[in-house]
Order: sequence, then structure tokens, then C-alpha cells
Amino acid sequence: MSLPQFRLLRPRSVEEAVGYLATHASNIRVLAGGTDLIPSMRQKLFEPEYVLDVRRIAELQGIRPQRGVGVEIGVLTTLNAIEHSDFLRKHYPVLTEAAATVASPVLRNMGTIGGNICLDTRCLWYNQSLTWRKACGFCIKKNGDLCHVAPGGTKCWAVFSGDTPPALLCLNAEVEIASPSGARRLPLREFYTGIGDDYRKLQPNELLTRVFLPESSADYRGVYRKLRVRGSIDYPLAGVAVVVKRSDGHVSDARLALTAVNPAPVLVKGASAMLSGKTMTEELADKVGDLAARTAKPLTTSALTPEYRREMIRVFTRRAILAIANN
Amino acid sequence: MSDFSIIGKPTAMVDAAGKTTGAGKYTDDLSLPGMLVGKILHSPYPHARIQRIDTSRAEQLDGVVAVVIGKDAPTPYGILPVGHDEHALVTDKVRYVGDNVACVAAVDEATADKALELIDVEYEVLPAYFDPEDSMKAQSDFIHDNKPQNIEKDYHHVFGDTEKALAEAACVAEARFIANEVTHAAMEPHSTLAAFEIDSHTGKPGRLTVWSSTQVPYYLQHKLSLVLEMPMAQIRVIKPLVGGGFGGKSEVIPLEIIAAVAARKAQAPVKITYTREEVFWAHRGRPRTIIDLKTGADKDGHITAVKARVVQDGGGYCSYGVVTILYSGALLGALYDIPNIQYDGYRVLTNKPVCGAMRGHGTVNVRFAFESQLDELALKLKIDPAEIRRRNLLKPPCVTINGLRVQSYGLPECIDKVVERSGWRERKGKLPKGCGLGIACSHYVSGAANSIIRSDMPHSTVNIKIDRDGGVVVYTGASDIGQGSDTMVAQIASEVLGCSLGRVKVIAADTDLTPIDIGSYSSRVTFMNGNATLRAAQEVKKLLIAAAAKKMNCAAEDLVFRDDRVGKKHVAAGDSPAQDGRGRPSPHELSTDGQASVSGRVEGQILRGSLQQKRKDEGPKDAMTFEEAVVAAIDFHGALTGTGSYAPPQEARGGKHKGAGVGPSPAYSYSAQVAEVSVDEDTGEVTVHKVWAAHDCGRALNPVSVEGQIIGSVWMGMGQALTEEMVWKDGMLMNPGLLEYRSPSSVESPEVEPIIVESVDPEGPFGAKECSEGSLAATIPAISNAIYDAVGVRLHESPFTPERVLAALRAKKAEKKIDLTEGVDPTAPTRFREHGGSLWFRGKGPARHPLDPARREAPAGGDD
Amino acid sequence: MKKELIELNVNGRTHELAIEPSKLLLDALRQDLQLTGSKRGCDDSSCGACTVLVDGIPMLSCTMLAASCEGQEITTVEGVSEHGSLAAIQKAYGDWGGAQCGYCTPGFMMTVKHLLAVNANPTEEEVRSALSSNLCRCTGYSQMYQAIKAAIEAEQKAVPST
Ligand SMILES: Cc1cc2nc3c(=O)[nH]c(=O)nc-3n(C[C@H](O)[C@H](O)[C@H](O)COP(=O)(O)OP(=O)(O)OC[C@H]3O[C@@H](n4cnc5c(N)ncnc54)[C@H](O)[C@@H]3O)c2cc1C
Ligand code: FES
Ligand code: FES
Repeated sequence: MSLPQFRLLRPRSVEEAVGYLATHASNIRVLAGGTDLIPSMRQKLFEPEYVLDVRRIAELQGIRPQRGVGVEIGVLTTLNAIEHSDFLRKHYPVLTEAAATVASPVLRNMGTIGGNICLDTRCLWYNQSLTWRKACGFCIKKNGDLCHVAPGGTKCWAVFSGDTPPALLCLNAEVEIASPSGARRLPLREFYTGIGDDYRKLQPNELLTRVFLPESSADYRGVYRKLRVRGSIDYPLAGVAVVVKRSDGHVSDARLALTAVNPAPVLVKGASAMLSGKTMTEELADKVGDLAARTAKPLTTSALTPEYRREMIRVFTRRAILAIANN
Repeated sequence: MSDFSIIGKPTAMVDAAGKTTGAGKYTDDLSLPGMLVGKILHSPYPHARIQRIDTSRAEQLDGVVAVVIGKDAPTPYGILPVGHDEHALVTDKVRYVGDNVACVAAVDEATADKALELIDVEYEVLPAYFDPEDSMKAQSDFIHDNKPQNIEKDYHHVFGDTEKALAEAACVAEARFIANEVTHAAMEPHSTLAAFEIDSHTGKPGRLTVWSSTQVPYYLQHKLSLVLEMPMAQIRVIKPLVGGGFGGKSEVIPLEIIAAVAARKAQAPVKITYTREEVFWAHRGRPRTIIDLKTGADKDGHITAVKARVVQDGGGYCSYGVVTILYSGALLGALYDIPNIQYDGYRVLTNKPVCGAMRGHGTVNVRFAFESQLDELALKLKIDPAEIRRRNLLKPPCVTINGLRVQSYGLPECIDKVVERSGWRERKGKLPKGCGLGIACSHYVSGAANSIIRSDMPHSTVNIKIDRDGGVVVYTGASDIGQGSDTMVAQIASEVLGCSLGRVKVIAADTDLTPIDIGSYSSRVTFMNGNATLRAAQEVKKLLIAAAAKKMNCAAEDLVFRDDRVGKKHVAAGDSPAQDGRGRPSPHELSTDGQASVSGRVEGQILRGSLQQKRKDEGPKDAMTFEEAVVAAIDFHGALTGTGSYAPPQEARGGKHKGAGVGPSPAYSYSAQVAEVSVDEDTGEVTVHKVWAAHDCGRALNPVSVEGQIIGSVWMGMGQALTEEMVWKDGMLMNPGLLEYRSPSSVESPEVEPIIVESVDPEGPFGAKECSEGSLAATIPAISNAIYDAVGVRLHESPFTPERVLAALRAKKAEKKIDLTEGVDPTAPTRFREHGGSLWFRGKGPARHPLDPARREAPAGGDD
Repeated sequence: MKKELIELNVNGRTHELAIEPSKLLLDALRQDLQLTGSKRGCDDSSCGACTVLVDGIPMLSCTMLAASCEGQEITTVEGVSEHGSLAAIQKAYGDWGGAQCGYCTPGFMMTVKHLLAVNANPTEEEVRSALSSNLCRCTGYSQMYQAIKAAIEAEQKAVPST
């Protein structure tokens, strides 16, 4: 399958990139590792007039610890680089663990952290060829007005299926966004909308440039658990990230986030409160598992049944907490 | 050590280097000057009548050379003579989403894609049938007018008195099993390149050459001739390297005919390569099968009766369907000694892509049911599962109750071997919680004794030519699709002739050059083409022997041909250079040691000159090189050629009942397997840790290949057991790509220990039988039985996805249910709506007929 | 769309190509350079048959724009054999049954070449994980592990350890 035709722009600096975005904002797509965008373009899900290939922008590469502040990660840093960063493994283990589960090794050589954050939401009725979608009558997210997943609804439920964002949410990550009017910083938590067909707060003329992890989140124990059918390649069908800070045997702080079961990666509300100040027992893990399962709203966007995926959120949450407790 | 110099030694495939360097050419790697790209327009409807097609807008697009539709090639065809129900492009109706409507030949892919958008088609939608049991109740709007109730074919076989035997049985087990639909997913998407030549005499388009990724060049040539209305002699089919078939290329696939029709109309070469989605639509995979099975046994575990009702969801056309439903019946009861069998098989048409032949054709799903049920009986009777299988063995030579002749039967040894290697006796029932062992057996044909096109022609013919250069050229119609048949042919020829493998060149699967072979399917090639090769080699060898005997002044019987030398029996037969094991590559190289070096290619040139004359003048000798023997033979006889062919013997062709033609084979392979699994009781995830697979292949001509085939079969069986499933929602295939179809990756693929068992079949070439399919069928029940051993749940529906396993575990513990699909038809429309996912909400979505199942009741809302 | 002139460095040679900006690297290799060793097995970037090395790192050529690779060194399966002979890994794949139909093999050659370049003596688990980007439908992967082991041994024999 060939790609739709477009013009290719290859800036060497953020400034140049933002300039292009300003000029062509109405019809442009950012291309980083391409592992999400290119397969989608083959399926004619995107047919932009311009493609902005940012891979040559050196300043967007790299992991830069900043003493007393935290760490800054350029959006073009590959998932492979994150997975193998000694610094991140030591201080932000939940992130390296999540990154290591993305797709397959070769895809992690290509895929970037920025692309993973911006990853398009997915749905079995959407990630299909043009011919296929035509045969099923299209859907709200693209070319249609019907949701096959929640018939009668007007909301798109396409599911956010990135692995690193739940880890990043647990770490209180912030992102930097550059636009013609300058750069702004936003907690990642505020980046997602929870609406499948308009899932991120990023204007067409904006570029994600950096990710920041605060030092206050460093050195939490962290675990990421992912439901997938195969041991490699597959997107998550449910994912749970947990970070916990302990002092004297109980939890002094904790956060829990889910992915692949809602249109956005979500921090589980109330999980911190439920865990803080307690010792991590089986009963507590069960309780938090139930809470997480209530937060998850899986639908038939993906393989396996929604009931099962929600159940796995419960099981994985419980297991993740116990794994931290026993470690 | 055996007495062979070539066979039985691990041998790299003769075309291995082309594969590892990228130099080898598959069909899509070929191009011709002026070649156009063909793209196919597929139906968006599962069942609809075509009212009108207007291609004029597409034809006017710049870069479009031709647009073809059904009426450009209206003759129907099909792989079976009884199933000529397909057209290159549909003429009246579309019968599944993805059916072939039109084809554009254009200068490039983008243009062709654009042109497809410009073809206007008007459809009248018809009610569609997605579930076979639903489809069988249809009263009108049949998928094919001549198939009432949408039943392609049903068979009802009774051998013995099943009812009586079941009534008298000490123990009876009964259950419904469902095996969901799987597909081949060969890594190479189908591709065909077709080109016409201008005839020198008529000045008009004449001969057609088609390069195609096919397992059956001869059938393709035959069907092309039928549809294009050209004499077969005017059509040449060439099979380049094929990137895997597994049955998916074992019949004529629409693109193969469409490319030729398009090339004719466009007056230019046309290449069509399927997208991966098109491969899924072309399909021909293993049908979803519903098996109602009842088995009885006496108190000692001897099976007394088997009764089965089997319904196969065949999709929109016949394909191999009639054969599949017959194989299921014929092989169901022929692995063991079973005195009473009743079989009711229904092949049903539905509005989905077409099912056909897939590795283990017809046997896999019924074997899953049977071997699972056999374990149930063993449990009830408190007999060890391995033991109950031993108690039901056939006693060959024999003929099974349904007329299958069995001569070699390595099953007992297979069972013993896997029991021993897996530590079955010591470990069964003693593994930690959640871990288990399961055993199962299977078998398969070594080619069908009756070909699908009824005739008395041999199933394989092979020619061998040996010339003064000392080179041996084997012309075989066998289609190497990655299983290594070219290598097998080379090995047999060189073994018989006593020459090195490097001397043998195999020219294969080119209908202009190679004699007829009916193709690579039903594991027939080693047995049949191997036998033909053996005979051809023996025939040409006679000429060599006669000449050498004369030269060496001895009796023909005294001669030994081995390692590129001809010697007398009492004289040492030369050192055996080809060391075994992976100390390769010796079997490939022309021997270079001592005396034999005279036969090297370079020396060969000299032989033709003075040296040859000199040798001629010498007196009788004790030994000569292979090349000298060749030269001598050519001097005596002129050209050296040999022909051999193979037709299965009359005794192997089966009984007389209706449908008796399918199932009989000259020889059967046997397999026994033990699988070790663990089950995560919270998630239902099954991990296969190891599979011990013993396979009776008669004789392993090339152990690396045999082991590779066993491992590959087991692995593919594991895919069907655990992850692979074509998921349908109202006729739409939800996972038409490798990402969502999920054939296993290396991470979760278990270790497979292949164990070769050699029963040396009396009719196989050097005793060889099938080794590429038979193992697959045992894997699924072995895993299922191991799951039972691990956690005590019996799974009746494959694949054993974590949710199905978890649902079964919960049901067993009477815990809170998660409402899943165990035992329920997952494609039944009511089920989709439980999870949302309806196409037809309040009249939105694509036009579908009001009588479609999914439209009959109002859909329920989603979760929110 | 108008074609643009790009320079592509493949297997140590520089080629000037006129291609559309939307052309995928895989198509440029196969169609414009006739380097048909790299295969297309899927359309959803999940099979690895098209894997090539870009500056020594395995990547999917079906998921990259040819024009994006300007200035980078691309190695395809055609660039694996050494001095006209099979590299150890190629030989071993043939001998040990690592390739059956061979369609996935070029992709595996690239991932294995990279694996052995960064980890001369991988554990079986490391091998499994490194191979997990590529799908094979014939072999069940087992014989590939044996082949890789054999190739490592052959390399060690060829270069006596110092
Ligand atoms: C077979 C397969 C399996 C996969 N499995 C997984 C998986 O298991 N888990 C997972 O998380 N992902 C998976 N992915 C998706 C993907 O590989 C990763 O999410 C990857 O991190 C995406 O990064 P990229 O750089 O390739 O994104 P791209 O494709 O380049 O971009 C993705 C999206 O983000 C936008 N974008 C990228 N960078 C920026 C930026 N700096 N500013 C603004 N917008 C930007 C793009 O316009 C595009 O819309 C899989 C992909 C494939 C093909
Ligand atoms: S062709 Fe399948 S990943 Fe590139
Ligand atoms: S060898 Fe056939 S796909 Fe790997």
C-alpha cells in the first residue's frame, strides 16, 4: 500500500519547524519515528498536504539530568534509548519498564517518546484500510457519524494505547510545547481530553519538544504491567503503572495510572489516598484493584472482551502493588 | 549408520543461499519492461446483486490502461470439478465483503488505487448469512442458486452399528467442540505476474506466461486455460520462490486469473500483489468447525464407537470444501482401531471469505475434539491418557473400517518416545499447582491416493538428463514452497546415482520444462514426486551401469555407485567423504579427494578431449569416476535420460461408499505429542513451556528439514490453540492484518523437541512418508489436555484465549462469572451487541438487507 | 506530486534517485534500486520482513520515507555477504534450517547481524527477545536459535580470541 501524496519538510531546528507549522497549520502532520503515523497514512486515516519530518532536529534528542530539578527528555529520544538509560532505570524505573514493553525492539529503535505521548487513539473500527472502513460505513473518528463501539452515542471511544504515558502520569511529568507564539509547559495530566477523536490538547501549529520529570518523583519504586496477547509487537489491551514511595514500612506517597482502557491514559483518582499511610497488604491491594477496575471503561475497541480487560486491570493493579510491597 | 551417502544426513537446502542473501526471487521481486500494476476493487457488501458497473470514469484517468470486470472472463472455475462456482471477477453477485468486482491495470499503484475510486457499482443488497447453523435454515436468497439451504455438500457415513455400540458402552462421553477459523498467514502475500507474447505466425497475442506464488502450477495452467479459453499448450506457468503456502496457495486464487485477464486486455504485462488485507480476504483457511462428538468405550478403555456431527463454515464458495468435510470424516476414525463410526458432515456456505485447505487439511479440528474426548474417557475410566491411546492402536498391516489401508504404523513408538522424553510417568500429576502435561496423537496422509481431477495419469513424473559435462539435471514439477522439495529431489537423485549433491541441478515447477506434478498439497510431494525421482534416477542409472559394467568387465550387479565413483563391490567403495552432522557442507561439494578429483568440473573439460581418448584406450578397470561412467554411457547409448512416474497403487485407493475417494493415501504419518503448560489462574493465560513431538515420517531423508517441519507444525498448532482466530462481526473481518491476527512471536514460542521415528514404509521412497502436516493436529488437544491437567478445566472452544480459560475457571469454581464465550457462538450477532459493536444502529451505517441477522432486533446500547 | 532528487547511500554506494516524497524506503529499494532482498510482508508495520539497518540500527523500511533517510547509511540484506561469500550467519541459517521458505529471512539477517554486533555472545533469552520484531510463519523460530549459536561458534573459530 502506498502513501497518499504530500510535500515533505525537513527542518533542522525547532524554530524552523515552528515556522513551517505556522505557515501550513491547516494541513500538516508532524512525523517523528513514524511508527504510528505511517501505518495510519497507509490506511488513508491522514492525508495531509505537508509532512514535517522532525527527525533531524538535534536539540530534541537526548536525556539530560538537571541537578536539583529532575530530568529533561527530548521528544525525539527513542524508546530504546529510554529503555536502556541507566539514569532513568535508577531513578524512574517505572518509565524504563513501560518503555521496554512497547511494540518490538525494532519498533523501539524508531518510535520516540514524543510520538508515544501523542499516539493516536485506536479502535478496531478505525485502524482499518479505506476499503474496510467504507464497507462498514465509517465512524465518528473518521469520515462518519456512527460509533460502532457504543451505538447511539455521539462520543468517540477510541482507546489511548500508549505504554509510557501512564508511567509518565505517575511521575508527574510535564511537557513543553512550542508554537509560533512561544513555548508553554503543561502537566501531562492536562494534555489529554478523554475524547477519542480529539484526544490531545495540541494545536495543529504546535510541536511537542520536551518532557520533564521532576526530581520530587525520583526514586519511587515503580512497576508497569501490560496485558497483551503475544510477548512482543502487540499494543497494550490494558496497562497499569504504579509508583510508590515508602518510609518506615508504609506508603508515604503513591500514584496509579491506567492505559488502553479509556480514550486517555488516566490517573486513578483516590488511589493515592487509599494507599498513603498504609502498609501494602493483600486486602489493600484488592481494594485498590477494585478502584482501578471501576475507573477503567474498556469497550470493544480492541481485541479480547471489555469485561476481561477490565478484570485484568483489577488483577494487574493488585499484582503490581504486591510486587512493590514484596520487593 | 545407515548405508546411505546422501539421504539421512542433515543437508542445507539447495536454494538456501538465495534466501539468506536476498538474491533469490519471489514473484513480487520480478518485473518486466512495460509492466503495469493491477489493483482489485472489492465488494463492500457481504451479499448483493450487481445491478450495474460503470468503469468509464476510471478508464479516462491518466495512466489507466485497462479496467476489467466479470464479463471479460465469464467462464466459471473452481479447484474441484464439482465446485466450479467462482469467476475471476464476479458476474452476478458478490458473496462476501472482499469479493472481487473489478480490476484496474495502470502505470503505478497510486494511479490504480485512484482509479478504483472512480468505478461506479450499483448493488442490490440481499440478506446475508454469517453463521453456518443459521445459514442452513435459509429459505430464500441462497448464496448459490443450486445449493438449497446453503449446504454445499453433506455426507452421512455409517460403518458398523454405532447406536448399538454406544448403548452397550461402559462409558460414554459427549460434548460440543468449536474450533474457530484460522488462516495460513504465509509471510509472502500472493503475487502474480502475467505476460503475453506476440505469436510470430499470426502476429497476434499468443502464448501466455504466468509467474505466480502457487503450490499448484499445473492446476493453475489448467484453470487459466479454462477461463481464458486458450489451449493449455499456449500457457506457461512458472513458480518462482514461494514464501510459504500452508495450503493458502494450493488452489487457483482470484488474482492469478485476474492478472492474466487484465494482461490480455491491457496488452501489457500485469503484476498484482495482494495487500495483507487482500490475503485475508483470499483466505482459503481452516473453517470454523462445530463438532458434536460422542465416543463410547468398554471398561478397559477400548473405543467401541464414535459418532460425530460436523458443521463447517465454508464461506462464499466451494473451494476445497467437499474434500475438507470428507477428510474430517475419513481421518476421524482412522488413527485408532475403532469398530463403529457414524459421521454426519455438513459443509455450509456463508457470506464470508472462502475456506479451503490448510495444513492438516480436514483433520485438525476433529482431532482436537476427538483427542480431548479421549482424555475425558480416560479420566472417567481411570486409565492413564497415554495408556488409553496404546490400548486402541491399529494392528497393521490392516484396512480401517472406513477403508484406509495402513502398512507402516510408527504410532506405538511415537507414544513411547514422548512418554519417555517428557518424563510422563514420573511427572504427570506431580507438577506444581497450575502446571500440567497433556498428550495427544494425530496422523496425516502422504498425498491423496485419488487426484482431484479424475484421470489415470500419474500424480508425478520426473525426467532426468545427464550430459557429457557430468551434470545431472532433474526436471520435476514439484513445487518447492519452502518445505524443501527441490532439495529432497536432488538428494534422492544423487543417492540413487551415487553422485555428489553438487552435481545435481533441479529445474522445478515450470510447465514448459517440467513434466506434470499435481502440486504441493496434502503432503504428497516427498512420497509421490520422491518416488518418481527415484524411478527416473534408477532408469537412467541402468544406462550408466551397463556402460560401466562393460568398461570394467564385470557384471552389473557387482557395481557400486557412491560418492561420485563407480567401483566393484569387493573393492572398497572409496572413503565416505560426506561426514554426517553439521560438519557440512560436504554433501554439496563435488568430492575433491584423491581419485575422485578427476571428476571435478574443470577436469571434466579435459575429459572430453585427449584424456578421454586415453582412458578409452586403456583396458578394463577396477573403478571409475562418475564422470567417466557418464562419458562411457553416452558413447554407448547416446543421450542419457530417464523418466519415472508415480501413481498410487489400486489397493491404496479406498472403499466404495460415496465420498470414499477422500482419505485414502498410499501411507500415513503418525505423531504423538506431550505438551507442558502452565496456567495463570488469575488471568487465564496459558504458557506452553515445551512440546515433545515424535513423528513417524517413514524415513527422514533430510533430518534438518524433517525436524523443521515437525517444529513448524507444532508451532502453528500452538498458534491455533492459543492466539490465532479470525474475528468476525457481521461479515466484517475485524483483524485482517498480522498485527491483530497475532501469529506467535519468538518470545512466547515454546521449545519444541522433535523426535524422528522411522517406520520405513514399504512404498515410500527409501521408506519416507509425510512429515509436514501430521504433527499440527496433535498439538491443539495436547495443549488442551495439559490445561486440564494443570487446572482441571476442559476447554471446548479454540483458541484457548485467556478470557475463555478464565471464564472456564470461574465457572468451575462457581465464582462470579465474567460473561464470555465458552461454548457459545462468538459470531452470533446477539453476542456482538452485548459488547456493543453493531453496524446497524437506527439505520445508520452501510446499507444492509433488513433480513440480515443483525438487523432483526434493535441493538442494545454500549457501556455508556 | 512532483518527484524530487535525493541521494541514498545503500550498502556503501551512493545512488541518486528521483522519487516522490511519499515514497517509502522499502519501495525505493525494491522498485528504484532493484534491491528486492528486503520484503514486504504486511501493511501494518508488524512483521519485520522489510528490516534494514539505518546507521547500523535495525529499522522497518516500510515505515520510513526514503527521503527521510538522506545522509544516512542504509544496509540491506544484499550488503550482508562478505567478499562474495556467505557471512557466517547466512551460512548457519542455511545449514541449520533457520530459513524454510526464506521470505522472512532477509529481515532476520538484519536483526541478527545487529544483535551479534552489539552482543557477541547473547543468552537464549536475549536472542528470543532480539528476534521478536520479526515474524516467521515456517520455522517456529527454534532452528534459528541453533543457527545463531552455530554462527557465533564459527565466528569465534575464525577470529581466535585474544
Ligand atoms: C506493530 C506496532 C506495534 C505497536 N505497539 C505499541 C505498543 O505496544 N505500545 C505503544 O505505546 N505503542 C505501540 N506502537 C506505536 C508506536 O510505535 C509508539 O507509540 C511510538 O512511540 C510512536 O512514536 P513515533 O515517534 O514513531 O510516532 P509518530 O508516528 O512519528 O507520531 C505519532 C503521532 O504523534 C505526532 N507527533 C509525534 N511527535 C510529535 C511532536 N514532537 N510534536 C507533535 N506531534 C508529534 C504525530 O503527528 C503522530 O500523530 C506500535 C506500533 C506498531 C506499528
Ligand atoms: S513489511 Fe511488515 S513490517 Fe515492514
Ligand atoms: S522461513 Fe518462511 S516465513 Fe520464515
